[in-house]
Amino acid sequence: MRRSPNRPPKRVSGGARRLGEPVPVDVTADSGGRPLSVAGSRVEGVRESWLVEDRWWTAAPIRRRYWEVVTEGGAVVVVYREPGGRWRSHR
Amino acid sequence: MNPPYVELHCHSAFSFLDGASLPEELVSAAVERGHGALALTDHDNLCGAMEFAQAAKAAGLRAIHGLELTVAIPATGSDRAGGATAAPQETNHLTLLAENADGWRSLCRIVTEAHSATREGRPGSPVRAPVAPLDSVLDNSDGLICLTGCAELGVRDPQTAMTLLEAFGRDRLRVELQRPFHRGDRDRNASLERLAKGLGVPCVATGNVHAHDRSRVALQDAFVSVRLRQSLDASEPSRRGNSTHALAAPAAMAARFRDHPAAVAESVELAGRLRFDLTRDLGYRYPREGDGDADRELAEVCLAAFDSRYGNSPAGLRCEARARLEEELKVIEGLGLAGFFLLHRDLLELAREVAVEVRGPATARALLPPGRGRGSSVSSIVCHLTGLSHIDPVTAKLCLGRFLNDGLTSVPDIDLDFPRDIRERLIPRIHQRYGRDHTALVAAFPTYRARSAIRDLGGALGLPQTETERVAKASEGWSGRTVGDDIATALGTQAAANPRWEWLAKLAAEAHGLPRHISQHSGGMIVATQPLTECCPVIPSATPGRRMVQWDKDSCADAGFLKIDLLGLGMLSAVERCVELIARTKGERVDLSRVPLDDPPTFEAIRKAETTGVFQIESRAQMSSLLRTQPKTLDDITIQVAIVRPGPIQGGAVNPYIKRRRMLMEDPEAEIDFIHPSLEHVLGETLGTIIFQDQVLEVAVAFAGFTPAEAEGLRRAMSRKRSSAAVEAHRLRFIEGAGRTHGVDEALASRVFEMIRGFSGFGFPKAHSAAFGLLAYQSTWLRVHHPAEFLASLLDEQPMGFYPPDSLVHEAQHRGVEVLGVDVNSSGVECTVEDGAVRLGLTRVKGVARECAAAIVASRSALGSYRDAADLASRSGVGRPALEALAWAGACDSLSGSRRAALWELGVGAVVESKAEGDQLAFPIGVTAPALDPLDAWGRALADYSTTGIAIEGNPLRILRPRLPGSVTAADLRGLRHGSRVTVAGFAVARQRPQTAGGVVFLLLEDEEGTINVVIKPREYERHRLIARSEPLLLVEGILEKPAAAGGGMSVLASRLGRVERAAGGPAAVRDLFACDPPAPELERFGAEQLPRASSDRRGR
Repeated sequence: MRRSPNRPPKRVSGGARRLGEPVPVDVTADSGGRPLSVAGSRVEGVRESWLVEDRWWTAAPIRRRYWEVVTEGGAVVVVYREPGGRWRSHR
Repeated sequence: MNPPYVELHCHSAFSFLDGASLPEELVSAAVERGHGALALTDHDNLCGAMEFAQAAKAAGLRAIHGLELTVAIPATGSDRAGGATAAPQETNHLTLLAENADGWRSLCRIVTEAHSATREGRPGSPVRAPVAPLDSVLDNSDGLICLTGCAELGVRDPQTAMTLLEAFGRDRLRVELQRPFHRGDRDRNASLERLAKGLGVPCVATGNVHAHDRSRVALQDAFVSVRLRQSLDASEPSRRGNSTHALAAPAAMAARFRDHPAAVAESVELAGRLRFDLTRDLGYRYPREGDGDADRELAEVCLAAFDSRYGNSPAGLRCEARARLEEELKVIEGLGLAGFFLLHRDLLELAREVAVEVRGPATARALLPPGRGRGSSVSSIVCHLTGLSHIDPVTAKLCLGRFLNDGLTSVPDIDLDFPRDIRERLIPRIHQRYGRDHTALVAAFPTYRARSAIRDLGGALGLPQTETERVAKASEGWSGRTVGDDIATALGTQAAANPRWEWLAKLAAEAHGLPRHISQHSGGMIVATQPLTECCPVIPSATPGRRMVQWDKDSCADAGFLKIDLLGLGMLSAVERCVELIARTKGERVDLSRVPLDDPPTFEAIRKAETTGVFQIESRAQMSSLLRTQPKTLDDITIQVAIVRPGPIQGGAVNPYIKRRRMLMEDPEAEIDFIHPSLEHVLGETLGTIIFQDQVLEVAVAFAGFTPAEAEGLRRAMSRKRSSAAVEAHRLRFIEGAGRTHGVDEALASRVFEMIRGFSGFGFPKAHSAAFGLLAYQSTWLRVHHPAEFLASLLDEQPMGFYPPDSLVHEAQHRGVEVLGVDVNSSGVECTVEDGAVRLGLTRVKGVARECAAAIVASRSALGSYRDAADLASRSGVGRPALEALAWAGACDSLSGSRRAALWELGVGAVVESKAEGDQLAFPIGVTAPALDPLDAWGRALADYSTTGIAIEGNPLRILRPRLPGSVTAADLRGLRHGSRVTVAGFAVARQRPQTAGGVVFLLLEDEEGTINVVIKPREYERHRLIARSEPLLLVEGILEKPAAAGGGMSVLASRLGRVERAAGGPAAVRDLFACDPPAPELERFGAEQLPRASSDRRGR
């Protein structure tokens, strides 16, 4: 697969805006890294999981395994674990 | 247990900047991780397929062949369905896999069609991306299995999927699921499963591999940036985003697709059906292969020519030649190769027709054969009698075994050299003769080396271009694995420790040897009985009208393709041009085949190393060797051509040969140590050393009792990398054979074997040296007897040879050849000879196209000389940029008095508008420039370099010399003693760091009196590397070396290097002399960008 270089960027209405900053969150996870609870709420299911590894050429490389989970209250939350072990929630 | 998953979607570096591993790396990693089979599916090509097949076969991995195809899908589906040809199209990807030989042929046809329009448009315009019409896939679906493509660009539209289903059927269409760990994978795969269910076909899991290992993921990211010409920061949306595209183990892939177990199982099921073996099932045949009449016909052709070639020869030679012919014909019949020779003969006959058309029947060059053989085929008497070689192998005592022997397993190579103009016309004629579908050129894959990696990857990392360029120039240019050193040299160790520069060093090392793009091989052509597109995709090459296969020479050889090498040889062109020029200027018709081969003035020039510009024996190393070996015959020149090669150098043959030759010069009765009497016959002419490649074979046969086929096997094993096990096996047999044949002990046999092993680097067969040696002699003869015509011819055939045109001219001026500058009222389109002087042609001026030059000459011939600048501008119709270039080159001095005045007058007098009724001038005729200061000598030299590249008034170091106190010239060196401490200066003509020289650098400087060899040892080189590598004008302090054994040769052993810069207030001065770690050069002030650049990598001809 070769990702298309010509795909137009998505339009953002109202001009540029800051993306949601990730915020620290308490997460418990199993040995495979799968979240079991987020901010004290039990995880009912994992909707999706993906991986971002980038900016390896900089002083701040990124390696994030994202989890999009549904908690017991029905909320959909996206969390990821940083290489140091801390979890953050990311909209 | 069988692996639970087979990878059916994998890219190698042959996806060109979208894959970061070689096929053999993928194969090794696959075997290591437990794969039993692997598919290679590069983007829109099969370039790496043969390499992959060979590597997989050797590793015991089953190779599956396919590709990922870019397909244009009409908005309404297939064109044929609704006649929707004008509908807008979008592109999708499909993964196509060959189930059998039909499938391979389908792939080849589809790829050929996908590339058919990539070179449309004006020459030089960007290559378009290949794209196949959907109908091409539908029409060529035989033997193919179609997967619906990748996660990003695969087919998801039900209508297109249904069209594919109609063509491929349920048995051969699969919906492809991928899990690249991107957001949205789950929804997409769920949607694709629904699509598969609707179609009634299974899904199959694939990994879309782009690297054999996670360590290459960074390089893959960088390659994407290079391909898109963006920085890594900017290319984020197009990069893969993580490392999951590295080849994973089958079990890991099964786990990755744990939600789709049936799709995983289907990969194994499908792979079981994909049984096409490229190493076995290709089915290629060349014209006349296996032709039952060919043996008889070849014998008749040879016998018919035999009498005319050997009829007047002494009886002994005739008998020997006849026996040799019979032996060769027998070997050829045994190998079934008669058709192969007849095909080459047909080509030569075609070349003869083309040569008559190109040269014209009444020209002096019409006497010359259309081309000449080179390489080992020159040793064949069949080649000689069929016209494929101009050397008589019996008289020249050439050994056949390297070219042809009973054990040959593939077709041999016959290489033919042609003058460039004949070759240009011959290639399309071969296309015509055998059919465009049956002929194509061989491809080549330029690979990443240091400089290309520094420039490309430095750009991707967002490093400053001025600095990456500085590093590139400081680099040796060869290995990408030493870029870290290059960075430290150019920018200092502190910069090298910067993370981005560290990444550059790391990425360059990873990229080293990976193919970057496809290009055309220098001359290989493939001819086939069947359409070539049945065997390999055929695509347009950069040269309009030419097409090439998607395989390089190694893949073509592995495929068993018959490759004919039609090589353009610059010196052949120069020699023909020279013969023609002699006829025009002196009225003499020179027949080069009849020039005396013992001409004393020619040999005297060779012995004095006055060989600048001649073929093969002109380089610094060759000249130094000539002074010591003192050739006296054509056989000596044959050895001379072969001696400066890695084989003899690494094999330790050079110094012993020279020493023994000098010993024999002093005492013709002196005894040579041949190690063993059986070697005296085979190494006699090279005085007990191995100089020719075929001597390796002869030694193995004579000393160790090998058959010619076994000996060729030994030679091949030694010439390959990583074949130490094979060489060791040969060594044991060699020692055993020597003991059995001659009763010699192991120590002696080992000594002889080591002599052979030392030769394992590149060397010439004697046949090749004989062919090149003759041309070396003939070109020297022309240089000696017709110096002006020879120089003019060399200048018009540039680029070629070891020296830049500037040095050729200066050297000729030292010999008394007068060289006149470009003049619009005297110059021809090309260089001419006027009363014994060389007049530079108009096309030597950069920016003056051939048509412009022709227009200037045509108007002058029709209406007389130009009166003034306005007359030139008005009559010639040449545009302002070309006129300005001519003015700056001094070509209008005869009209305006000086370059500045001409530039002024043409600036206002040049044509600005062309109308039907005539050219409208910018200003009325009669413009006269105001009084302008003329250019000084240095200014004229810079103007010369920026226009013709030739400082016509001589080497401009003469102007700088007063500013270089204490320095001596090349002429001064002749009067100084060995061991004197000297300071010399000059323009760097050539910089060489041969791999065989242990890190020593050889620099050739040119000053106003001649050339100076400078030797820089590794320690000094590292101290002054940036200066040595990149400065055009150098100052060198060192010790003069001219030992008696050098036969008059001398060099300066450098201890310090400096650069010369211009200072304010004077034409030039020495500044920052002997700087070791200089600041960034500010040579623009000095005009360095206009000075001639040394070419460390000018190729031989």
